[in-house]
Amino acid sequence: MTGTLPTQATGELSAESLLDAYRTMRTIRMFEERVHDEFATGEIPGFVHLYAGEEASATGVCSHLDDRDAIASTHRGHGHCIAKGVDVKAMMAEIYGKRTGSCQGKGGSMHIADLSKGMLGANGIVGGGPPLICGTALAAKQQGTGGVGVAFFGDGASNQGTTLESLNLASVWNLPAIFVAENNGYAEATASTWSVASDNIADRAAGFGMPGVIVDGFDFFAVHEAAGEAITRAREGGGPTLIEVKFTRYFGHFEGDQQTYRADEVANARENLDCLKRFRERVTGGGEVTDEALDTVDSEVAALIDAAVAEAKDAPKPSQADLETDVYVSY
Amino acid sequence: MAREISYREALNETLRQEMERDQSVIVMGEDNSGGAGSPAGEQDAWGGVLGVTKGLYHQFPGRVLDTPISESAFVGAAIGAATRGQRPVAELMFIDFMGVCFDQIFNQAAKFRYMFGGKAVTPVVIRTMYGAGLRAAAQHSQSLYPLFTSIPGLKVAMPSNPYEAKGLLTQAIRDDDPVIFCEHKALYDSIGEVPEESYTIPFGEANIVREGDDVTIVALGRMVSVASEAADQLASSGVQADVLDPRTTSPLDTDTILESVENTGRLVVVDEATPRCNVATDISALVAKEAFGSLRAPIEMVTAPHTPVPFSDALEDMYIPDAQRVINAAKSVVEWER
Amino acid sequence: MLASADPATTVGIVANPASGRDIRRLVAQASVFPTAEKANMVQRICGALGVLGIGRVLMSTDLGGISAAVLRAVRTRRDSEAPWPEVEFCELDRLTESAADTTHMVRRMIDAGARVIICLGGDGTARVAAAACGDTPLLPLSTGTNNAFPRLREATVAGLAAGLVAARAVDVPTATRRASMLEVHAGERTEFALVDVCVCTARYVGSRALWDPATLTELYCTFAEPDGIGLSSVPGQLCPSPREKPDGVALRLGPPDRARHVVHAPIAPGLVVPVGVLDCRPLRPGERVELGTTHGVLAVDGERELEHRGAHPATVCLRPDGPRCIDVSAVLRAAAHQGLLTDIQLNPTEAA
Repeated sequence: MTGTLPTQATGELSAESLLDAYRTMRTIRMFEERVHDEFATGEIPGFVHLYAGEEASATGVCSHLDDRDAIASTHRGHGHCIAKGVDVKAMMAEIYGKRTGSCQGKGGSMHIADLSKGMLGANGIVGGGPPLICGTALAAKQQGTGGVGVAFFGDGASNQGTTLESLNLASVWNLPAIFVAENNGYAEATASTWSVASDNIADRAAGFGMPGVIVDGFDFFAVHEAAGEAITRAREGGGPTLIEVKFTRYFGHFEGDQQTYRADEVANARENLDCLKRFRERVTGGGEVTDEALDTVDSEVAALIDAAVAEAKDAPKPSQADLETDVYVSY
Repeated sequence: MAREISYREALNETLRQEMERDQSVIVMGEDNSGGAGSPAGEQDAWGGVLGVTKGLYHQFPGRVLDTPISESAFVGAAIGAATRGQRPVAELMFIDFMGVCFDQIFNQAAKFRYMFGGKAVTPVVIRTMYGAGLRAAAQHSQSLYPLFTSIPGLKVAMPSNPYEAKGLLTQAIRDDDPVIFCEHKALYDSIGEVPEESYTIPFGEANIVREGDDVTIVALGRMVSVASEAADQLASSGVQADVLDPRTTSPLDTDTILESVENTGRLVVVDEATPRCNVATDISALVAKEAFGSLRAPIEMVTAPHTPVPFSDALEDMYIPDAQRVINAAKSVVEWER
Repeated sequence: MLASADPATTVGIVANPASGRDIRRLVAQASVFPTAEKANMVQRICGALGVLGIGRVLMSTDLGGISAAVLRAVRTRRDSEAPWPEVEFCELDRLTESAADTTHMVRRMIDAGARVIICLGGDGTARVAAAACGDTPLLPLSTGTNNAFPRLREATVAGLAAGLVAARAVDVPTATRRASMLEVHAGERTEFALVDVCVCTARYVGSRALWDPATLTELYCTFAEPDGIGLSSVPGQLCPSPREKPDGVALRLGPPDRARHVVHAPIAPGLVVPVGVLDCRPLRPGERVELGTTHGVLAVDGERELEHRGAHPATVCLRPDGPRCIDVSAVLRAAAHQGLLTDIQLNPTEAA
């Protein structure tokens, strides 16, 4: 009379898992706030797009993943990198353009990657990631690893043909792929309420034959639970899912953005919706984790970020000898 | 007598042998099998629009994938799969269709290795059909390989006959870099000697098709046979041409080209692409810079005109470089006097 | 037929852009209710109200695209089309994209003279609107996922019923019925439920929906219908209690292998699951029950809402004074009886 039922896994998070999730979210927050401050001093070259405010999404999704699984990210990719386990010090060095960086200073903020961790790179092209994730999911399926592919993309990319084609292909090939639409309300300076004709990105899932759900992106537990169901479904051969995560980015599109297109939503989000504050209230309120334990994580993360910045500043830049290496494996 | 098969059969045999050799080699593209989703019809109905992948579907279950007409998605998927241990061979039916998926090729596949600090490999092959001659008009006839050639991170192979097709495709599949494999649509039925066993032709080593001391003719892809025909006729009028097939435009065997020009003192480049920023201009610039002192005459380039490919057979035949134009160019450089 | 209503007669329409999109689409293939259809429903309601001569509609605003689509429709209406009421958009200083928007909007509409509130959403939306609308008649239309309370009704017909009530062509005692509701106190928070309150052993609200019966320990329902959907379908099969009766039901739930009754119940769309019932009894109006746990999640109308971790147990109480809901069937029966939608012509033109 009944089929197998998914379990409501959230209740089973151990204190250790809760602390891990908190550490990841706090690391992303402190990393981004520090990059924000350091960028203002003029020492960081190029463009940076910060993920602060959106931590619950990367963390809630990636806490279900392991080395079998690949993710593709966006230009706002630092959070995904940290959540997928990329070395924080190497990331910071990369942002400073140093030889010790994740990509030896050849990628920068928009291209941090670590393929050994299944992190296929932040991506400077809006909509660049979803096709790649169809490929990683296909590889996992053909190799029988049980792995999944997760494409993070924004509300802007939800209007790109590559994204829509990928949703279709993932369904046609029944791929273990999860499409996480991170709707932070603005593609650059254009509101998603204007640019996304269907208004809810999740609504588009129906047209591609997959479930589409919306979750509160300020709530780690909501993201974690929905992602867990989607990932389990994908691992078991149930096919792709589109998850729309709604939230607000705390900083501008890029550092230097005056944000005259936004009103007071950031202040409101920081005050009332912040994922870290909410997480702390809930786990300490229930007694699973103590304030002291979280405070310890805070100071450990602060020390890590301090060290990452100090080491990045001291690290050597790439040299002339590096300019023409690593274009090809062999040429 | 050695076995003779077609360019199409050579490509098909290569895919079969590489798929047998290596489980990670997979094939995908529009109608690569053909018949997907048809309730009653035959799966493997087509084997690709030109039949290159015919018969692989049943031999390699799950490894020959039909795709929706979504070049961005499936070319991107091939690239993504390549980063995770597969060796995909994706078929971009016509090179003209790169317009709808170019981002995945030049911003993703081409960039990964360098942009990620040497830590990525992307062993993907994108097989694609180029060239004029089938009355396919402006959007199905172009010779766009110069665009790929100009992008660091991509390799570009241009097999000129069945033997080259097998050796270069085997190398492309085994190569750890992304390769754009350009097959000329007028060559699929061409016949030539092809060994049954697997072999590779290294990239970046030009083939000296014919040796001569009077003029160097560098020709690409289908133009190699046009240049050879011209060289035969030139020989009968006493002009001996050195005919070179670079095989790959990236990497390019500059040494062989320069050595030849240093010997002949004269260069004609035959390139089916339109004349601005093509492989002919690239090779001409190379020779002008590196072998200027050896040149005894201006360099000649035989290319298509700077127009879209026309439809009418009358116009298309004028559009494509032919042997007579190559002969005229060769004679003009041989006869040139200051 | 009904003489045209006073042009000042006002109907409020609240449409929840978020309904019908939660995780149940992932775990149980629950229905998808697109924004476009919600906007179409509003337009069908406006059409019906226009025919009745209702002069003014107050429409909720949202960032989900419903109000934007309605605005587009208002702007592109042609003169040749049947007239609509004036549509005024009820704007808030700031949309929070939470249930608070519904609460504020309903209160504003009533302050601005709305005589009826039509609410498009699921059980969750109806609950929030009900708590805000006091004595003003409420017409909940189903556009959500787990709709035990709002009925699936054609919006045109609902629009006619709402218009007839707003125009006072059908009197309120005939047209409406007081629903019961459950009041939950947990620490400093008070919540209301129109259908059910459930105690769940999950620790976090998470993605809100409930679909795993193994986590449920107690269930309280205002009514229990045998053909219901949602948690109330459990007592609906075991100890039905019609909506019209003032009593509700209270159940203790447990693992199926230790339960006296195992009900195979549609606890959510797409999910017919075995639910172990340890016991089941009537719940009297006014009776306040202490819930058996101080730690756990309380779900109201099928959605996890409260993470209760108080020193004192939460309580639940069945109240008879819930929202005054429009009974669409009763209104249109009255309309038929009174000929409100029928013209009598003395000299009809003969057909050619």
